[in-house]
Amino acid sequence: MFGPPPRIALDFSHPKPRDGMPTPTNADLVARWKDEPAPLLPLLHALHERDGHLSEDALRDVSRQLRIPIADLFGIVTFYHHFSRDAGGAERPRVCTGPVCAMRGADVLVASLRAAGHDPQAMPCPGRCDQPVPVIQGDTVLTGRTAATLTSGPSPLPAPPPDGIEECVFAGIRTPGRATLDGYRSQGGYEALTRAVGEMTPDEVIGVVDRSGLAGRGGAGFPTGRKWRAVAEAPGEPRTIVCNADEGEPGCFKDRVLMDHDPHGLVEGMALAAYATGAVRGFIYLRYEYPETFDVLEGAIAEAVAAGLMGDGILGTGFSFDLMVRRGAGAYICGEETSLLNSLEGKHPFPRNRPPFPVTHGYDNLPTVVNNVETLASVPPILARGADWYQGLGRGGHAGTKVISLSGDIARPGNYEVPIGLPLRELLDDWAGGPLPGRCFQAVTMAGLSGGFLGARDLSVTLDEPSIRAKESFLGAGGIMVFDDSRNMIAVTRESMEFFAEESCGKCFPCRIGTQRLVERLDGKGPRDLDAWVDEVTDLSEVMKKTSACGLGQAAPLLTESLLRYFPDQVREFVAVRGPQQKG
Amino acid sequence: MGRNGTALTLTLDGERVAFRRGETIFEVAERHGKEIPTLCYDPRLEPFGGCRLCVVELEGARNPVASCTTKAEPGMVVRTRTASIEVQRRVLMEMVASENRDTDVDPLHGYASQEMATLLDRYDARTGRFDGALSGESRFDDDNPFIKRDYDNCISCYRCVRVCAEQEGDYAISIMNRGFDTKITTEFGGFLNDSACTFCGQCIQTCPTGALGDLKALANRDVPGETETTRTICPYCGVGCSVDVMTRGDQIVGVLPAMDGPANEGALCVKGQFAFDFVHHRERLSTPFVRDLESGKLRPASWDEALDRAATDLRRVVGKHGRESVYAVASGRAPHEAAYMLQRFIRAGLGTNHIDNCSRA
Repeated sequence: MFGPPPRIALDFSHPKPRDGMPTPTNADLVARWKDEPAPLLPLLHALHERDGHLSEDALRDVSRQLRIPIADLFGIVTFYHHFSRDAGGAERPRVCTGPVCAMRGADVLVASLRAAGHDPQAMPCPGRCDQPVPVIQGDTVLTGRTAATLTSGPSPLPAPPPDGIEECVFAGIRTPGRATLDGYRSQGGYEALTRAVGEMTPDEVIGVVDRSGLAGRGGAGFPTGRKWRAVAEAPGEPRTIVCNADEGEPGCFKDRVLMDHDPHGLVEGMALAAYATGAVRGFIYLRYEYPETFDVLEGAIAEAVAAGLMGDGILGTGFSFDLMVRRGAGAYICGEETSLLNSLEGKHPFPRNRPPFPVTHGYDNLPTVVNNVETLASVPPILARGADWYQGLGRGGHAGTKVISLSGDIARPGNYEVPIGLPLRELLDDWAGGPLPGRCFQAVTMAGLSGGFLGARDLSVTLDEPSIRAKESFLGAGGIMVFDDSRNMIAVTRESMEFFAEESCGKCFPCRIGTQRLVERLDGKGPRDLDAWVDEVTDLSEVMKKTSACGLGQAAPLLTESLLRYFPDQVREFVAVRGPQQKG
Repeated sequence: MGRNGTALTLTLDGERVAFRRGETIFEVAERHGKEIPTLCYDPRLEPFGGCRLCVVELEGARNPVASCTTKAEPGMVVRTRTASIEVQRRVLMEMVASENRDTDVDPLHGYASQEMATLLDRYDARTGRFDGALSGESRFDDDNPFIKRDYDNCISCYRCVRVCAEQEGDYAISIMNRGFDTKITTEFGGFLNDSACTFCGQCIQTCPTGALGDLKALANRDVPGETETTRTICPYCGVGCSVDVMTRGDQIVGVLPAMDGPANEGALCVKGQFAFDFVHHRERLSTPFVRDLESGKLRPASWDEALDRAATDLRRVVGKHGRESVYAVASGRAPHEAAYMLQRFIRAGLGTNHIDNCSRA
């Protein structure tokens, strides 16, 4: 439907020409954002885009006008990967060096960019494992294998499901024009919202969602109906709906495809969440690395507002809801919901201590729903077709569906909406075409990277939490990266652990120190004696898992634990080979 | 007491104990004599939950919980010192030791400077395990006279940042970068002198590793003798901050804020914290001076001569101009006893209220 993608030359000039528009001053940009909700990130983005970096002069103006102490503001800016403090910093292309792109020639692309006179920087996974290898410069995202062959284009559409499989969120996504309001409405879009605000009480909406069995599809799996009811009943106003579209987990690119091709599904889902909980404002917290998606969402919201489906007096009723998009700035931890809330509020994006939870103390310390894109996009079809319908999509007593982002050494990588409870082997072999020719599966990751590995002997699991948790892993957000027998699992683990070390926020000791020490040990440092090496890695992993403050530090050691569990021979060989050569 | 008048209770290491609504598990445990280790905790600050040493087992919770951030709830079953918790604490301490250049620092660094070393001993954690890169980056280029910024010994507990914001309201320092690259910074990474810092020294006194140090006190590290502390009141102003003056022999070597001082609860300002070195300053007058009547110049004199001169001339002035003509100002650097005597002299001796102190701020 999109034709061949355009080939684009890298144009990294800064500042971008502005067709006769005068360059806005600091005061102009501050005035534009100062009185908006959650103003800090959009204001910083505007200044960063104007100057190609964040200057001291600009930050001092922001500090004064937004009343954020300058030392705090400086610290916050340094937290985000995207913000450059050096002139020209935003012009440097950033190249994904995540586990899948590393196998697909990220180093070749880096070298070719360097040969072409650029100064490429490494970047953690920007959610394009189905289109390796991505390069980001400012607001431009290109993909390809060499500097000369980079192209841009929207997220690839998911392949149709096998016969007899019914989908929920992907059901209409392949229909041309689905991303427009007319296209969405031609398939029954916004009928659920119309019926809800016209004929149902908020409590009835919550009741349907509750009975459907829908649970958080960002990975935490908290029952959505229960969360909504808690917010509806919590004291304090205004209430807020936050869509977590930060999709920072390596190997996850499912929310991107949903937002690119079916933005109104998300917008309608958020309006339903707002109606159900009595919320009057909403934010989509979108990861910075999805610039095209930002335009798609802004366009969809504008269409919805113009059609009376969003804003004041929705569909002629007394129900009002304002929806805004806010962009992150390159920080994986901001996908953790309390860190996300701090980021939105313009605070240092450390996770908060819980309890209290966001349902009572969320955005601005007021009751807040934080839901993943896929969760919210599931709501309109559930309201349209009923709780029983959704329940029945799962297998083996599990409710509903889950989108799996599949990448790596597999014949047909991409997004697949599977019945929860589908055997993993069925997905790998029947849906996605099995391993590459002449290869066999060695391991897959679960939950992107956060679930660690399942070795070949445990690929008999079904895609549901009880089955996968029995193997000391979890399904989470549904990213699965495949590694065949050509891969060195020590190298894969090291690259993966480097990601967590890079993204550790620095708040709690076990994660901040532990991720660093594990990277060092996977990089050939640490004890030369095998038993001592294994003891250290085991102790670090155990303490991180048990005592880390949030999911990042608790999940990162699943990589090393599963490495030791499935690949003791590779570990033994690694420690033995490097032993005599390297300093312990 | 609960709302219905019954006592709120939880089970702490097998014993049923009462607690007050709003207390954290840590506070309840501390009240009952449990020695839960901490490094990021300062009772004056909002609980942070960073060091994770205070984790305890809570029945029904999947993982141990940080006792400093978890509120006590009726019916909780808490174990503060199980074998596995103690192992986790030991590994955490080994990890902490591995990121610093020094694990032992001179106590003159500051009030809390021995906290990490004490816990390393308690958990026998100087094992050298988890050897690797050191974190932090010392700023010895910051040549301010008060605060040593030796971040090679920093463990990123952020007590300094939090005390600066929460207690002082200065917001002079913050947290830069993330993960293992985290650094304590001022605005744009500059010197304290160019920042909003007021040099109150609170960051030094809450630092548990000596990454921040009291340069005024450390200048006396070679003074011989055992350090003794004497509780007194800071003379510099009317707030009445309690301080513990550290001495070796007859020499003041430093000042510690008194955490239990009723007026300051551990807070001090730049003067109370650092301005003690005049006491032993080589230019300090050590004998009275009187003005030579012939040359008009000051010359050393005995106490008797000086007192006689003062008495004679005060009497002369009062006789000529009346007692209202005399006004006395006591020095903030004089002992409280001297200030007291001077006001007695003016009030009781001359019968006026013409008495003041230079610190009447």
